[in-house]
Amino acid sequence: MTVNPKEAEFLRQIESNKGILFKICRIYQDNAEDRDDLLQEMTLQLWLAYDSFRSESKFSSWMYRVALNTAIAFFKKQKRRPDDQSLPYEFDRAEELSRVNEEEEKLAMFYKAVHQLDKIEKALIYLYMENQSYEEIATHLGITAVNARVKMSRLKDKLKEITKKMNYEYR
Amino acid sequence: MNIDELKDAWNKDDSGDMRLHLDKAKWNKTTSAVQRLRKNMKMEFISLLVCYVLIFAVLFWNVRSPLFFNITLVMLFCLLVINAFYFFRFYIFYRSMGRYDLSIINSISKITYELELNTEIYKTFNFSAIPLSVLTSITLIASKVRFDDLNNIILTHNGMLSFNMMLYVFVTIVVSFVITYICMNFYVRTSYGKYLADLKQVMNDLGELS
Repeated sequence: MTVNPKEAEFLRQIESNKGILFKICRIYQDNAEDRDDLLQEMTLQLWLAYDSFRSESKFSSWMYRVALNTAIAFFKKQKRRPDDQSLPYEFDRAEELSRVNEEEEKLAMFYKAVHQLDKIEKALIYLYMENQSYEEIATHLGITAVNARVKMSRLKDKLKEITKKMNYEYR
Repeated sequence: MNIDELKDAWNKDDSGDMRLHLDKAKWNKTTSAVQRLRKNMKMEFISLLVCYVLIFAVLFWNVRSPLFFNITLVMLFCLLVINAFYFFRFYIFYRSMGRYDLSIINSISKITYELELNTEIYKTFNFSAIPLSVLTSITLIASKVRFDDLNNIILTHNGMLSFNMMLYVFVTIVVSFVITYICMNFYVRTSYGKYLADLKQVMNDLGELS
């Protein structure tokens, strides 16, 4: 099957920036099957919106926007799956901890905590972790940089509270 | 937990077992409500064209009552105009729906607005078209019965509709309106209701932020 140049360029760009998609999936969905669905949906939306990409801007910046918008507007399938019922946290955590070192353990805990935030808060955290400046975060979200900074500061406190609660509950 | 200390681990994280789907065939299995709406609109348009071909074939086959044939034809043209108007509007939405390259606040507002407006137009379209379709079906069936036979059943001696027939037509229209209203609301609520509520919640969260 032949791939046209536009498609080849798109696939190359996606491949080299796939980490962005993987992390957004991990932030927004806690279930492997939903993560896979979201990844598929984001790839589709990126392809559909590819004509709107102007090469003067960075592909990754454009990708953040399309992928985050897709993740926020994504609606889980309603079908019931055996893994729909969340596993008791101990099992879930034990599985994750078996393959990780201390740093990864903290990251796994961080993802768990982030899953308790709303969709906009997740977007904010994601962009912050990607080292985006408050001006860039504000542009992606469509708010002011001051609001982004204030909200981020509150979010850090909220995450601290959530992780404290998680430690207390599951120790 | 200090999330600034996690940035190194975050940068190193390759998200383990995830694999990218670059097979375009798989992209058709979309789960997005906007894409589903687009798919449904396309399917409904194709179904409508097939229905029109079938209806016209039945209409011109074995006509026994020219009067009802003419009435059916006029009603079908009315339906055609209604369908053309609504499907033209759907087509405009179809082309512009779901732009994900805007800022989050603009993109989510646009998706929410389009989805809500589209579902409302869809309800209005069905509410205006279905009862007319029911009446067209009745006249279509009547055109297959000899006029003299029909005359005895539905008309009084002075050529007006009998009371029973008037009542029958009235009840049919009311019932078809009620059924259409209930079915449309149920369909829209089950298909897009939860999704719309979810988007509105996101809009509220964004409103608090800005």
